[in-house]
Amino acid sequence: MNIKDLSDEILFTPGHTACAGCGAPPIVRNIMKIFGKDTIIYTPANCLLVFGGTYPYLAWKVPYFHEAFENTGACISGVARALRKQGKKTLVVGIAGDGGTYDIGIQALSGAAERNEDVIYICYDNEAYMNTGIQRSGSTPYGAATTTTPAGTKIPGKLDHKKDMAEIMRAHEVPYVATMSIAHQRDFLEKAKKARDVEGFRYLHIISPCPTGWRFDPSLTIEMSRKAVDSGMWTLFEAEYGEITNIYKPKKKIPVKEYLMGQGRFRHFTPEMVEELQRWVDHKWKRIYGEEP
Amino acid sequence: MYEIRFHGRGGQGGKMAAEAYALAAFLEGNYAVSFPFFGAERRGAPVKAFTRVDDKKIRIKTQVYEPDYVVVLDETLIETQDVLEGLKKDGTVIINTQRKPEEVRLSKPVKCATVDATGIALEVLGRPITNTAILGALARATGRVKIESVEQAIMEKFGARLGRESGEKNARAARMAYEQTLVGTSQGGKEFVPRPQWLPDVHEMPIGGAIGTMKTEAGLIGIGSFVENKTGDWRTFIPAIDKEKCIGCRFCWFYCPEGCISMVEGKAEVNYDYCKGCGICAHECPAKAIEMTREVKA
Amino acid sequence: MIQKLERKKMVITGDYAAAYGGMISGAEVVAAYPITPQTLIVEDFATFVNDGITDAEFIMVESEHSAMSACIAAQAAGARTFTATSSQGLALMHEMLFIAASLRLPIVMPVVNRTVAAPIGIWCEYNDSMPQRDTGWMQMSCEDNQEVLDMVIMSYKIAEHRDVLLPIMPCLDAFILSHTVEPVEAPSSDEVAQYLGKYEPVAKLDTENPMAIGTFAPPEYIQELRYHNHMAMENAKRVIREVTRDFARTFGHDYHGLIEEYRCDDADVVLITIGTVTGTAREVVDELRERGKKVGLVKLRFYRPFPREELQKIAERVGAIGVYDRAVSFGSGGPMFIETRHALYGHSIPIMNFLAGIGGRDVMKKDVEKMFEMLLEAKEGKTSKEIVWIGTRGVTP
Ligand SMILES: Cc1ncc(C[n+]2csc(CCOP(=O)(O)OP(=O)(O)O)c2C)c(N)n1
Ligand code: SF4
Ligand code: SF4
Ligand code: SF4
Repeated sequence: MNIKDLSDEILFTPGHTACAGCGAPPIVRNIMKIFGKDTIIYTPANCLLVFGGTYPYLAWKVPYFHEAFENTGACISGVARALRKQGKKTLVVGIAGDGGTYDIGIQALSGAAERNEDVIYICYDNEAYMNTGIQRSGSTPYGAATTTTPAGTKIPGKLDHKKDMAEIMRAHEVPYVATMSIAHQRDFLEKAKKARDVEGFRYLHIISPCPTGWRFDPSLTIEMSRKAVDSGMWTLFEAEYGEITNIYKPKKKIPVKEYLMGQGRFRHFTPEMVEELQRWVDHKWKRIYGEEP
Repeated sequence: MYEIRFHGRGGQGGKMAAEAYALAAFLEGNYAVSFPFFGAERRGAPVKAFTRVDDKKIRIKTQVYEPDYVVVLDETLIETQDVLEGLKKDGTVIINTQRKPEEVRLSKPVKCATVDATGIALEVLGRPITNTAILGALARATGRVKIESVEQAIMEKFGARLGRESGEKNARAARMAYEQTLVGTSQGGKEFVPRPQWLPDVHEMPIGGAIGTMKTEAGLIGIGSFVENKTGDWRTFIPAIDKEKCIGCRFCWFYCPEGCISMVEGKAEVNYDYCKGCGICAHECPAKAIEMTREVKA
Repeated sequence: MIQKLERKKMVITGDYAAAYGGMISGAEVVAAYPITPQTLIVEDFATFVNDGITDAEFIMVESEHSAMSACIAAQAAGARTFTATSSQGLALMHEMLFIAASLRLPIVMPVVNRTVAAPIGIWCEYNDSMPQRDTGWMQMSCEDNQEVLDMVIMSYKIAEHRDVLLPIMPCLDAFILSHTVEPVEAPSSDEVAQYLGKYEPVAKLDTENPMAIGTFAPPEYIQELRYHNHMAMENAKRVIREVTRDFARTFGHDYHGLIEEYRCDDADVVLITIGTVTGTAREVVDELRERGKKVGLVKLRFYRPFPREELQKIAERVGAIGVYDRAVSFGSGGPMFIETRHALYGHSIPIMNFLAGIGGRDVMKKDVEKMFEMLLEAKEGKTSKEIVWIGTRGVTP
């Protein structure tokens, strides 16, 4: 599948209030072109909730629903079961941020996955709690400065590494898990299509660069996704029932440093910190590709 | 008591300016409060902040509706909204612009002070952060606080966050603005149509707030209605597509966060009603067919 | 769909009555999580599903928070839902209770009243449900297992009424009802189906008619919505009175609306009770009446909406009112006492609060007798006590 095959119909309209250059709207708009009109959307509390609509206005052109922050897994389960009772084939999709997925929402998510609910769960990962003002999450990478892990004189940013959420979801052995980047158009669209067509629990995890929180020029959003993949900070793979079925390998691996440059959240990095992050990437690389980077 | 309303864009530091001014007034023995309009606006959206100053404790907790002074950090805002709304009869507006007061067109002719805060900031700070320079102009135009107090407030407030050197530079920007501010009278006559709001009473309010799509006096509401929100006025940079160069690859169409690029006869076209000027399209265009320039608003 | 079930008499626990009520009312989606002493409800419902008595979707969620979240979602998608919880489980749901009520979703959730830790205990206290007062849920208490079953069925009728559209928690006392068997008469599935009709939501998630439910909203809209909830609760009083009357005609069991008076007509003093203590207190009233004491009893069924008008009428004819509470609002008094005082503003009779049975301690006949004794003293002006702890070691009532 190619972007030329995508329809012109827009199900997430312009007029939304995301920051200029936000990575999330193109993800959402394009994925909705694949999912189509017979879709119900749930969003928990996050940037997407807020920039996607302020009463009485809404960017969504499909039925839209919000309850709270930590319960996406349960909310989409409830909708899906009611529809099953009504004999409907509508796609039920929850779109949560990394905070709503890795941290406060992991319990409801795990429960829904374990029950193999017939839903799609999407995590758009901007690596912090952006809606509340850039606080760290379980997804924030090592060293990154956030408002709760500031680059202080004593503690230089976040001390812990990013949690491997996609692996946790793969361990649930659900029908489909995929990690995605919008910069990889064809891969992105194929995975979205696959997710649409598979039955049972599907988990899509998409990197969503945030110019405001990561502090980079808004024109570089797509570039950031690309570099995240090329550096190994973000890995693209697919898994079915826990088995990895497809891994994307960057043509040329770039040093982590090249990804960090240009992002204000890493500006305070010392060479040792760069090295520590590189070590983490290399370790992951080896685990995934089975070879030394 | 006097009241000030600051107009800026999310991320420009209007709130910091309002707070720093309150601190300056406090340093001169006044009582001062400052608060932002708490909205859900993201970076780039028009936002407001307020400061109130008095010689005794300020008890009122409402928002400011009839300010004595209006400060505009971003010139583009005067094109899309009536910044003079509610301004007291002999009030003053302070605008960041290269223009002279007499060249500025607003809804009414009013006492107007102008300063090129962006130019000063670029010169002194190396970045177009205007929230400190504009305070110099405010001090000059109103005479309510001494420039020395503004400098001290900036050092305290910005120095604490960004380091002493940065605090000093910001104070210098304020001083320069103070010296370069022009005071005069603006032109009037510019018309603004206020955007109508849908305000249902309890009988019209849908149960549980659930809505489908409805046409109201305020336009479309409900499902798919955000198209009513023209985000084009967030923009400071504007893309121009060279149709000759465009190869119709659709990359810009795919990546544009606003979804405001459409393909017309195989060529990309921008709907400027929504374009926020992020520059992604230009950066991603493989044919280098898109150029971003600083927008000059008529 | 449920199997055809005949009218029958069963000897069942309160929990079974609750589960049976949800099932026979045609709950289509159930999401629940077990907690003592509500566990039997979940287990009984699971048995109904696994034995094919109902084809309801049962979502075995991983927490009460998710149970309520899933019920809200399913109800928003147009399904009739059912869940049940207790104590810590209800506390964990707290956040979601507001959302159910504000979205105007008529969810029915039996709550088995159990003390909230610490110390952790499993016995009856109302400090789980009563703190949910301001979430916008209707809340009522049952006296016996028949009332539990009837009330679950009536709950759907009340909650789904167009003038109400609010969620409701019929409450039953831990163990005293939940795990106690007694004879209960159940209506047939046809009778219930005819009585309740189909659930017709005012708004639902449906791709053929897309709607937005729960959008982020600024202050311009929220106050009107809150007013709606306020009015819906006021309307509920009328609807509850109508529904209990109608239920009595249809099924033969009369619950008299928001309260039930027992021997109040010529009473000098009355005691307001809630839950199972009511049954014990009826005994005491009879005995005291035999001894010539003019005492009466008011069984308060609904805590939300609160039967203000009914209590005002009673206050006009009696000399003192006592309010029994099985929970404390620290810094003030028992929750029902606070409400009653508020409802009776302007009446000059003594109003006393009796706290007893806290943490599940048994409330005995002698305890209730003590309450009446003190009320009679108050009527004579012999005591001016207001808040009285009954049966607390080292504290003189
Ligand atoms: C129970 C609860 N705790 C905290 C919050 C406040 N809150 C709202 S959104 C949010 C962060 C969202 O972060 P994430 O899921 O990463 O999405 P993002 O905004 O970054 O896109 C928080 C902490 C809440 N709404 N509910
Ligand atoms: S803060 Fe980041 S994620 Fe949120 S709208 Fe702005 S750019 Fe997007
Ligand atoms: S600059 Fe380009 S990508 Fe950005 S909003 Fe405007 S048209 Fe879209
Ligand atoms: S990215 Fe460039 S070449 Fe491709 S469609 Fe857009 S303007 Fe044309």
